[in-house]
Amino acid sequence: MKRQISYCFLVLILITSCSKYPPASERLTEELAIYTQFDVSIAFNDYQTFAIVPAVAFIGGNDSATITSPDALALLNRIAQNMVSRGFKQVAATANPDLGINVTAIRSTITTVYSPGWHWSYPGYYPAGWWGYPGYKYGYPYYPAYMTTYATGSVIIELIDLQMATDNMVMVRWNAFIRGVLNNRYPQTDVLNTVDQAFKQTPAIKTF
Amino acid sequence: MKKKYNLQLKRILLPLIALRLMASQAQSQDTTASPRFVHGSYYTCAWNTTITLGDFNDWVGHASPAGFDLGGRYFIKAGLVAGFNIGWQRVSQSYTNETFYGSAGQAITATNYRFTWMIPFQGVIAYHLIPDKIISPYLGIGIGGDYMEHHLLVQEYDIYETRWGLSLIPEIGALVKFGKSSRWAALVAFNYKWTTNGIGLYIDRSSKNMQMLNLKFGLAFKMR
Repeated sequence: MKRQISYCFLVLILITSCSKYPPASERLTEELAIYTQFDVSIAFNDYQTFAIVPAVAFIGGNDSATITSPDALALLNRIAQNMVSRGFKQVAATANPDLGINVTAIRSTITTVYSPGWHWSYPGYYPAGWWGYPGYKYGYPYYPAYMTTYATGSVIIELIDLQMATDNMVMVRWNAFIRGVLNNRYPQTDVLNTVDQAFKQTPAIKTF
Repeated sequence: MKKKYNLQLKRILLPLIALRLMASQAQSQDTTASPRFVHGSYYTCAWNTTITLGDFNDWVGHASPAGFDLGGRYFIKAGLVAGFNIGWQRVSQSYTNETFYGSAGQAITATNYRFTWMIPFQGVIAYHLIPDKIISPYLGIGIGGDYMEHHLLVQEYDIYETRWGLSLIPEIGALVKFGKSSRWAALVAFNYKWTTNGIGLYIDRSSKNMQMLNLKFGLAFKMR
């Protein structure tokens, strides 16, 4: 009897000890994640104006394009609203803005490694030349900027420094990677709220 | 002649009397100890549950059943025991829609899985109030250390830190023997633990010490 009690205790200890959290491969399939990273070496109040691309670059499977659907325009507007609320002035892309904003949507693409810039070669994506720097590339001054993901339906927002382009490089000072948001499970309001959250978790972006 | 005889007698008897006195003193010590059942040692194996408090509770709010504890106690005087405890405990909880801020401008909003596992070890002094009874309550205090690993899992990241700290653990408990002559007993104990271990994974919040309550249920086996 006492031996049986001892065994019961051992089993209980083993059961309670084995609780475990999901591995990274499972965590990466969670519905929603909002990554942001900014260049800590610059002060955003050195910039006053911004422009945003007129359409969302869309990468879906083997296709890519630019989209100007109402949902896409609402996404662009929400990004612009957040910038304005932080003191930046929106101007046309031809009006020599201090900052440019690229927005890319990715759907039906299984990405195993995301490193900033992997999507630059897709048609539809706005190259540095569109912002007045033909032949330039985008650059990321901060490290690390690599993420792995298996999710689909993501939005990438990049804040590009148009004031200090050097060495054929236009620097991306902030990027937001909103993962899993375009999978038809989230209504448009939730999608827009993730944009707000991306800005909220980067309080450094402000002119004051 | 008679004087010489007495002297020889004294030389023989005095050492014998001294030996006898020493033997009787040793015997009296033994006879006072045995009936009170306070000599020897016992060992414990217990299921150890954790209830987090204070800053530790802000890190992981859920109580945890995951843990065990092994101990040994040696009677050094009537009712007074000295010994050790070593164990393993784990607390965990997931928090949805939580933002983690990195140190280089990164931030991630996603489900945060937080867990801490620890290996506590202490030297223990305890006093059994009525050691010769079937139910033997005790009061004790443990002083020792903790090895802890705090993990924060966010997406592909496993952000963690390891820490060593000192701990102080007052404890109350009781042994409930399964029979008057049984070597086995049930153990129930409750303690409060304060440790210098902290958590600093979130840059916007950190703790310098941690507290918890532990409730233990287990078995004790008396050696001799």
